[in-house]
Amino acid sequence: MSHRRLVLAVLAAALLVTPAAASAADYHHVHLISSNATEAIAWYSRHLDCEPLSDRDDGVDCSGVQVVFDSTPTLGSSQRTGIDHISFSYEDLTAKMAELEGVGVGGRGVRLQRFDDGSMLRDVPGLFKYGFIFDPWGTRIELVEDSDTLGFHHIHLASTDPDATLDWYQETFGGERAQLKDMLDGVMLNDIWLLAMEHTEGQPAATSGRAIDHIAFEVDDLDGLTGQLQNAGLSILEAPAVPEGGRTAARRAFVSGPDNVSLALVEAGFAGVDVALDHGTDITTEQVANYTVPRTPWGDPDLQAVWTGDAAHGIPLERPEELSDSDVLTPEQAAARRERGTLGSIWGYESEWRDTTLGYVKSAPSRQVAMIIDPPDGRIPAMTPEAIAARNANRRDMSGRTPVAGPEDLSIFVRCITRGQVPSPGIYNNGLQIVQGPGYVAITQEMIHETRIIPTTPTPRPGPDVTAYRGYSRGRWDGDTLVVEITNFNEGGSYRGSSPGLVMTERYTRTSPDTLQYAFTMDDPAVWTQPWTATFTFVRDETQYELVEYACHEGNYGMPNILSGARAREADGQ
Amino acid sequence: MTRRLCALLGGVALILTLAPSGALAQGEIPRSFDGNPDLNGVWQAIGTAHWDLQDHPAGPGLPDMGAIGAIPPGQGVVVGNTIPYRPEALEQKQRNFENRFYDDPEIKCFMPGVPRATYLPYPFRIIQGDKKIMFIYGFSDANRTVHMDKDNPEPPPIDSWMGRSHGSWDGETLVVDVAGFNGESWFDRAGNFASNTLHVVERYTPINANALMYEATIEDPAVFTEPWTIRMPLYRRLEENAQVLEFKCVEYSEDLLYGHLRREPTRPAPEDR
Repeated sequence: MSHRRLVLAVLAAALLVTPAAASAADYHHVHLISSNATEAIAWYSRHLDCEPLSDRDDGVDCSGVQVVFDSTPTLGSSQRTGIDHISFSYEDLTAKMAELEGVGVGGRGVRLQRFDDGSMLRDVPGLFKYGFIFDPWGTRIELVEDSDTLGFHHIHLASTDPDATLDWYQETFGGERAQLKDMLDGVMLNDIWLLAMEHTEGQPAATSGRAIDHIAFEVDDLDGLTGQLQNAGLSILEAPAVPEGGRTAARRAFVSGPDNVSLALVEAGFAGVDVALDHGTDITTEQVANYTVPRTPWGDPDLQAVWTGDAAHGIPLERPEELSDSDVLTPEQAAARRERGTLGSIWGYESEWRDTTLGYVKSAPSRQVAMIIDPPDGRIPAMTPEAIAARNANRRDMSGRTPVAGPEDLSIFVRCITRGQVPSPGIYNNGLQIVQGPGYVAITQEMIHETRIIPTTPTPRPGPDVTAYRGYSRGRWDGDTLVVEITNFNEGGSYRGSSPGLVMTERYTRTSPDTLQYAFTMDDPAVWTQPWTATFTFVRDETQYELVEYACHEGNYGMPNILSGARAREADGQ
Repeated sequence: MTRRLCALLGGVALILTLAPSGALAQGEIPRSFDGNPDLNGVWQAIGTAHWDLQDHPAGPGLPDMGAIGAIPPGQGVVVGNTIPYRPEALEQKQRNFENRFYDDPEIKCFMPGVPRATYLPYPFRIIQGDKKIMFIYGFSDANRTVHMDKDNPEPPPIDSWMGRSHGSWDGETLVVDVAGFNGESWFDRAGNFASNTLHVVERYTPINANALMYEATIEDPAVFTEPWTIRMPLYRRLEENAQVLEFKCVEYSEDLLYGHLRREPTRPAPEDR
């Protein structure tokens, strides 16, 4: 932090003594990080009228501005970094916003950033209407209604000193200091506005690795400008060179500009880099020959560790029909599937929340096709007619489309009551901590901090009237495997229609120092015509992973918001 | 008859007291595989500490609850009976008590924090292994892992309700150092509380096979002028089928928390109370 301040101070001093030396420069591209370039190209083409670049497969042309995507996990939204957002202009913004609202936030949808009063648009007289959205990877995008400039409209920096920053860009890259609509200070460079808003809470976050990673300028004299910036005290992050995988002989340099903004300087003809994507190794299916499961001091197989289900996130419970012939996915398919799972989950969360995007796990995404291994077709067996009738009778609309009357209309997960019997991995907090003592195993699920207490010696079960959401567990050791039989379920904790008569049998087997195979069998004759079994693998990574306290109910701000939203919608006559 | 019974019981007590060490006797402290006391089992506090850590007379509860909700009298567990509050913190404690039917984290089914989890009127299980000791409490799914292997960074990365616990053995005593609290917990239903600078040092010392002495020293310079200590026994639950059952209290707190937001409101909004 202090280093950055120093850079700025030196920069300001340099501006005072050095005569302005505006180089000839042009925007080259805006560089976003999107996890998956193919998906991002589709999104920007569909929603913001950009067109895929004709000569390369990692970017789009948005009315003359190249927007290029990196297929790597993002470190978070662009908001509050030195490049807060980019902007697009539309003739009729009200119609455009209505269109985007109709897309919804699900999957690769559109997240609207509403203003405090719930509205999507603001209208500043003399300026224009504007509103904000996010792309699925956290890029903040301002939409404006400015008929003078349609399409790509501006790049909006956040700066501790907007005036000095704009001066610096103008003096470094040329263009013209001007006022947009006589209201907003900016630099007009090649018909694109560069604006800067004041960042008041300390320094803006560094852009590198965030959703808007950097802006690139094409310059005539790369060595000259790089040298000049270095002399002015800026950090040169990457000296001029043809980058590895460069598609042309054009060179590129990286400098750290004002306000922690990464800037790429490129020579004419620069056309990006070909990156060989490293999907990593799926260690969940690796076989360790002659692996001996360690023993506790009292002689039980030792399963104690922090395990995470992150590698298994994205594996569907049931085998998709189009994959009926595959045994494993390709690494590319596995990576794409997890990305879809991440986007399809609680999508509005920024990437900081998504452990699986951040790759906080040793293993690459599992290539397992489906969790169910028995029946062999990978599908849940047919339900009994009685179970189907009961399910239909109990079906409630939990989509949120109808205003809920009270908390009871929401799922037990939204209510923070339980994560349920099966520790299926989601986008975050997939940790499992196992602690053992003589005769007992404790398995704590990070999500909603639920601990299963498992006696491993014969212990009487509670009577049939003592039921619970997660049932009661009784365990035993079968060789190296911990076998847990769970019964005494209540009505409320039903898993995919299971009844209180469910007998769930889990098997935990350590298959290598870092992998714990988990399998569960659901036997509930009142509901399914035959038992079924599913499996996935937990990965140990205590160097990076520790369970955090998932205080779900204590921090359930969502519940009053959902309920007060429902009351407001009813008051509106919906 | 009565005198004979008394004499007989006296004899049993004498035998227990005089049982030579090393012999298998009912009073002997069980040992773990590593020679340390074996604390595995289901334990519970008995008394009124969950109502009020200090001496207190009987008092009324919610009228609708009749005698069930009333506060039973109790003798305090605070060593010296005085909690050395800073003046403004004492006022906060009194406000907490007045607003306890809305503000007490227990009534909201929030995690109880430490030391409150220990003496809530529910059993808890200790699972004592070689690297960690797990405490699983019978209220609100609260649990905590006591790290005996010290392989975690200190201070804890984020604040939490239950804090971060590091344990070690001091002779016969399990000492657990707990910090990293979020400052939201209370100590009892009387509104005793601490801030996020709370630091608790707990001591679990076996008295015999079926009882532990529990001691917690509470330090929080933002709230108290000096550290203070609570002390009470914890008893082993001796029922053959003793176990910690699942008590998910969330659904029983929802009306209190969200009743004003129901389609048919069941209670006034907090600002109108």
